[in-house]
Order: sequence, then C-alpha cells, then structure tokens
Amino acid sequence: MTTERGPTGEEKIITTACKSHCGGSCLLRVHVRDGVITRIETDDGEEPQLRACLRCRAYRQRVYDPNRLKFPMRRTGERGEGKLERISWGEALDTIVSELNRIRGTYGPSALLFLGGGGDTMELHRNSLIEELLAMTGGHTARWGNQSFEAGLFASLATYGTMGTIPSRSDFDDLLNSRLIIMWGWNPTVTIHETNTSWYLLQAKELGIKIIFVDPRYTNSAAFLASQWIPIIPGTDTAMLIAMAYVMIRENLHDRAFLDTYTIGFDQFRDYVLGEEDGITKSPTWAENITGVPAYTIENLAREYATTKPAALIGGIAPGRTAYGEQYHRATKTLAAMTGNIGVHGGWAGRCSTPRSMWGGFDFKLGKLPSSGGNPVQFGIPRRKDSLPTGYGLEGSDSAARIHYSELADAILKGRAGGYPADLKMAFIMHTNPVNQLANTNKLVRALRKLEFIAVAEQVMTATAKFADILLPVSTFMERNDITTTGAPPYYGYVNKVIEPLYESKSPLEICQGLATRLGISIYSEKTEDEWLREIVKGSYVPDYDAFKKKAIYRIKLPEPQVAFKKQIEDPENNPFPTPSGKIEIYSQRLADMNKPELPPIPKYIEPWESRNDPLTAKYPLQVITTHFKRRAHSQFESVAWLRELVTQAILINSIDAKARGISNGDEVRVFNDRGEMILPAIVTERIMPGVVDLPQGAWYSPDERGVDRGGCANVLTKDARSPGGAFCYNTGLVQVKKV
Amino acid sequence: MQLGFYFDQTRCSGCLTCIVACKDWHDIPPGPVSWMRVTTTEQGQFPNVSVTFLVSLCYHCAEAPCVPACPVVAITKRKEDGIVVVDGQACLGIESCSGACQAACPYDALQFEAEPDAKMQKCDLCWDRWAEGKKPICVEACPMRALDAGPLDELGSKYRRIKEVVGFTFSQVSKPSIVFKAGGLR
Repeated sequence: MTTERGPTGEEKIITTACKSHCGGSCLLRVHVRDGVITRIETDDGEEPQLRACLRCRAYRQRVYDPNRLKFPMRRTGERGEGKLERISWGEALDTIVSELNRIRGTYGPSALLFLGGGGDTMELHRNSLIEELLAMTGGHTARWGNQSFEAGLFASLATYGTMGTIPSRSDFDDLLNSRLIIMWGWNPTVTIHETNTSWYLLQAKELGIKIIFVDPRYTNSAAFLASQWIPIIPGTDTAMLIAMAYVMIRENLHDRAFLDTYTIGFDQFRDYVLGEEDGITKSPTWAENITGVPAYTIENLAREYATTKPAALIGGIAPGRTAYGEQYHRATKTLAAMTGNIGVHGGWAGRCSTPRSMWGGFDFKLGKLPSSGGNPVQFGIPRRKDSLPTGYGLEGSDSAARIHYSELADAILKGRAGGYPADLKMAFIMHTNPVNQLANTNKLVRALRKLEFIAVAEQVMTATAKFADILLPVSTFMERNDITTTGAPPYYGYVNKVIEPLYESKSPLEICQGLATRLGISIYSEKTEDEWLREIVKGSYVPDYDAFKKKAIYRIKLPEPQVAFKKQIEDPENNPFPTPSGKIEIYSQRLADMNKPELPPIPKYIEPWESRNDPLTAKYPLQVITTHFKRRAHSQFESVAWLRELVTQAILINSIDAKARGISNGDEVRVFNDRGEMILPAIVTERIMPGVVDLPQGAWYSPDERGVDRGGCANVLTKDARSPGGAFCYNTGLVQVKKV
Repeated sequence: MQLGFYFDQTRCSGCLTCIVACKDWHDIPPGPVSWMRVTTTEQGQFPNVSVTFLVSLCYHCAEAPCVPACPVVAITKRKEDGIVVVDGQACLGIESCSGACQAACPYDALQFEAEPDAKMQKCDLCWDRWAEGKKPICVEACPMRALDAGPLDELGSKYRRIKEVVGFTFSQVSKPSIVFKAGGLR
C-alpha cells in the first residue's frame, strides 16, 4: 500500500471538487492524516448529489502513483527511451527559455509549437497560461482541430452559425421532458460528459421514457437503459439518418410549418433525398445495404421519431470522429429541424453532446487570466479557405497559420516544403500525451525524433514524457487550489488543496511564473494562487468566495433546464440565428461557395475511406473503432493499480469473427495494418457487430524491441488524416486480427 | 435485527465504482482481495443481447454456513445487527484449516490474499460506518443509487421482496440477507 495511517495526528476531511477530462466535476471528501490522504468519500449532501465515479475514487493511488514525476529532469538517452537525470528547477527553466530564445532567434517564432491538452480542465491551472505567455513573448505555432468533436463544431457553425450562442446545447436534466430519447453513438456511463448525465437518463427510463441506442456496440449504457438496440456499421450513420428523412418525406411526417418558419434549404435537401439530384433514392433499402440496419428498423425509427413529441435525438460525438463525420452532425440537426425538436423542452437541437463547460453551455461570468491579445505568428495571416467563421472560445482557430492536430507528424516531417505553414523545430507540450492520443503513433514517434528541442510538463511518465529533453513534474489537483464549472443545473466547484505538493512537483501557475520571470513578463507573479482565484470568481454569480471555498460548491438555481435556441424559436423576429440567412441552414451558401464536393451545402452521405467496400478489406477485413474506457479518462489513470485490475485492456471481437480466426475468449492476438501492430488479449462477445472490433483508446504505448506495441495503444493503428471539415478519424480504419 | 443489502439490478450500469470505493475505505491493496465484486452476465446472440450486472459480496446470511465451518470460532454473527464478522487474529489461515469457511460459503464471498496461509477477510457491512449513522461505503458511492442497506425487514417492505435475479440463486440453507429488484432479458 502506498499510504500508511499514522498513529498520531487527527484525521481531517477536506471537501474538494474534481475534474479529470471526463466532463464531470464531482465532490470528493478527502480524509487526510499527517499530510497524507487516507480515504476518499464522495458527496452526501443536497440533491442532485455529485457522486464521483471509479476514477476519482481511486485518486489516492494516482497521487501516490510510483510513476509520478518527482523532479525536473534532463534526457540522457535516446528520445523515447525514458532515460533521464535529475536537475534543478532553475536549470530546467533556464534551459527551456534559452532554447526558446535560440529557436525563435534562428528560425523565427513559428518554429515553436505549443501543444496543450485537456488534462485537468480547470479554470486557473490550465495550459492556456503557457500558451498566452508564449504569445506575449513573440508567438508560436498553434494547432487547430478539437480531437473530440471538431465535426460537431463544423456542423454547428454551418447549420446554426454558432457553437457559442448560450445555450447552444440543452441541459441533460431537460431529457426528463422528452417522450423519446435516441442515443446515437453515445455511452455516457463511461464517458460521463457531466456528473449526473447517466443519473438523469436512468430517471427518464424510470418515468417510462423510451430510450433507443444506435451503436455498433451494446454498451454498458445500453445494458441498463436501452429498450432497443440498433447496431450499425461504423461510418455509415449519415446514410441511416438520411433514409429516416426519406421515410418522413414520403409519409409526410415532417413538420412543414417549422421548416418554413425557421430553416432554409429543405427543398434542396429533399431533392437529394428523393434522388432528384443524383438519381439515387435514399430509401431505407438503399441505407440497409450501407448501414447493415434492416430497412424496416429504419422506417420504424423514422416514424417513431417523427410522431413522438417531444423527442431527443442526441448525436453522440463518436460517430463524428470518422471520415466525413461533419455530414453526420449536419444530418442530426436536419432531422431535429424536420421533427420540430429545436428550441423546445424535451427536444434536442442536435448540437453534439459536449459537456456544459465547453463552448455554449452556460456563461459562468468568470474573470479572465492575463491575455496576450493575439498570437503574433497569426497576425496578418488569413483564415483557412475551408473554414467557417468562428467565434466565442475559438477565436483565431481558423487561422491558416495553424496546423491541424491530426496532421502534426506530417507537418513536422515535411514543413513548409510539404505545404504546411511552418518548419517546426521545438515543442512545448503540457497536459497532453500526443504520442499516445494522436492518430498514427509510429509516424509521430519518427517526427518527434526530428525536432531540435522538446519540453514536456506532466504528472507521470507517459509515452510523450519519454520524448522530453527537459521534463517538468506537475502537481495533481489534490496539491493545489482551483475552480471548476459544469453541470445541469450549473455549478461552480472549488478545488481545495488537500496536501502539500509531492516531491518537487509544481503547479501550472508556478511553472508559468518561473518561465514568465525569465522572459521578462511580471504579470503572472503579481498575484498569488489565492489572489488569482479570487480574481476569476469576482464578477461571477458566486456571492462569497470564502463560503464557496469552504463548501467546495456553489450551485446556480435555474427556473427550468436550459433549452438550446429557445429564444430563436419563440421569438424569431428578434432573435435570428447567427447564420447569413438568420435561419437554420439545412442548405449553407457558405459551404456552396467553397465549391468542394466533400463539403456539400446540404448534408450528404459520403462513403468513408477504409470502409467495408475498400479493396483494402482483402488484407484488413475488420473495421476498428477506438472507444472510451471506463477506467481511464483518455490516457489518464492508466497506471492506477486499483483501476488496472478491474478491466483488462483487450480488443472486443464478435464470436463469428473470432471463430473464423480460431480465437477463444482471452487469447492473445495480433492486431495490425500497414501503420502498426500490437499484441493484446481478445474478448469474444455478442455485444459488438460482426466485422467490427473495438480497441479502447488511451492505453499507454509500450513498443517491444521489434516495435510491436504491448500496451494496447489504439493509435498505433489509426490513420493521421483529417476529414475535409476538420474531423479526426479515430473511428475510421481497417485492421486484421490473428491469433498469436 | 438483521442488517442486509438491497440491489436494484435495473439500475446497475456496471461502472464498478462500488469496488474502488470499498477498496479505498477498507484500505485493501491492489490484488486478488476485493470484498465487493461485480459480475456481468451476457445472454443471447448478436443482435438479441442482454447484459446484466450483479453485486457479489458477503450477504451476511441468516444461517451463515461459514460460522459453524470455522474450526476456531474466528467467524461470528453479531447478535445486535446480524453482521457476520471475522477475527483476523484468531483465523488460522487458509492452508492451516484447508479453507473450511470458503468451502462452506455458497457465494464465494470469502477472500484471501495471495500470500501463504492468508487470513480470511470479507465484507463487514461497514459496521464502523453504521456507528456514525452512515450507510456502507458502496451504498454511498453508487452513482446510480442501485444499492441500499438497512434492516432487512425494512428493505423488504420499502422495496419489492425479490429473492432471485439474473446470476443469483437464493440459498434456502443459508438465507442470504439481500433483496433485489430484477433486471434481465427484455
């Protein structure tokens, strides 16, 4: 055991909020004795309680994980070997600053790449501190593309003209007002999204609200919530949605008044659906051949969705992480409009199922941290030609000076000569694990070896940390104060420091202060952590900072759950949608003007690469999807022993595919394609479609001497290509599986 | 009075939070011992599939067969609340007595570390927490509120008194102290 209960000292219980890139934020009541965490309880206060899931219940072992980084270190071996030696904080920060100045001086500021990730998605100790500091001191190359839901952002911008209008996503407690819930590729029991999402869905089930799942897998969410499971071939969701539109049009079930009042372009969409545009009728029979879903099932779902009011068709974000995933999100929004389910309680506007704290959830009125006012590398650089106007929270992400995150390895390897906007020479990586979490791991490994200098700030020895020239140890949220926001109804969580930072680890603010001072920027050091937090809270709804800190929670009382675009629907005259037409754009002139067949002005089914019809299936006949895993938050928590022993990292394969390969449950198998290879156990199950294998993402890349991954890192197999609208394609790919 | 558990199989999402909460509260290291376990039952063939979960732990049976099985009276059933407790000091160890209690338990609830002659341990219904007016840590932990605990009579009248669910057979011999709400094939 990593901790001992000392015989002396009184046990204190400190209430704190957690948030570990799951979208939830729960309350933890942490027992501490002699400065050591001894136990963790969860919320037992007022309803709705914020009960933590298994991940943060195991956080004691994450704090005392033997993999924790203890001291600043300098690389002594090859990149990726993980051979490092201890240095002082002074030497580590001096080295980073001197390399930063050298690289900028030699190659210009665009040679510096900053990568920040989710990590602990809190309000003060976040990677944007460093990103803004770099922008203040000359600039850097930034990435664009949200790995989780770029397809949803693109579709929201195209259809609603925004993803930041508040609220642009209804609250999950509003699902209790639905009469039918369709969970499309969404497994919130594992992905959480918000603390009580599954709890509200369970209450909906117990109220008798029918919940239908469309998913290649029979997930744990489906296991306890579903009244029906419709398995679908990955990457074909758009075809099924379009065939549902066909049924509604043919049977005259669509809401014409809603379409006339609030949308433009339905006629063009109808022409496409009925085959008047391209000669192909998008009938349920057409879709059956593509999706593997029987035509009658598609017909019945279309009728049920069109005639049950209100109904929520929630487009989960996984089906959008495919080639042409933008079309899927565009199609869910179009169906929501056709059924009049936008702007009403119990409906769903079809904005992707992102957590509230993301764009457009709720305005918590938080104070701002120091801002550069812009990244000089992007000054004077136009927008990308294939971008839609952004706004709230994404300003500048459409700059042509940015590199799409899925193309990072290619950009490092080829640079300007390959058409990318920069020749990258140095990377500063904070709170993110791109070696593990970006598509095509083996290519990124080659690319990272080419850089002149890499600095990484991390809590544990991740696959990416092993590539650092200078590695900085970061404290966990148990070792610092911070603030979280999320929830339905919305709330602020106070992250109370529970113990002193372990070893020589420092908080992101302290790291920023250390770098800023060396770069001649004093503003970060002008306030302490507590003063910055008071500054963040000052203009918010929190009336009393100290009372908030003590309780670790401040809840906002709303008269009713928020509904996306309610104003735009109730009073369209005074509240137009922020699109060029002021309406919901089923047809987007902006997209038409791009004149790109792969970004059509109306939602269309476009067959993904590496589909079941690809000639590559002769070599690699199985589709791989890379899903979330219940004991990790992406790659976080992977080394926590209490969690590791609960579920084995394995590939899920249907019994038919297993039998054809002589694979029994628990057998070691090789999973491979032209991009990479791994060996891990197989789980033979009826819970996944034949022809599809599920490889949970986030397991740590651990290549053996032959380069075969033994950790089960899904991205060894995924393709580093982006969809035309920027979607990441983690769920588009072909592999073969063989018994070892 | 007999304390017992209630488990709503229709609410369990198989998230396993109860297992971690139990290990943390009772300070059980990573390894084979887990007082709380969750079993998954997969039924049917694609695409007609059903999956149910079942919490598996010591059910503090009314006629707990482990009690008389122990050669040294290390296992006792508390008169005041019916919790079956083990005295780790008195327990001889699994090899010394050939695991007589383990053989007697119909629910495989009794746990041993991998070390030689490990002492028996198992769910103690968090008797330490009841003293503070709190329910067991697993009950408090469950994000789906699928678990409850209390006097068995009260649980039986508060919920429906179902004795068998998918994966669980009621032993008429030992009479486990648990009531259920049933999930299963739809």
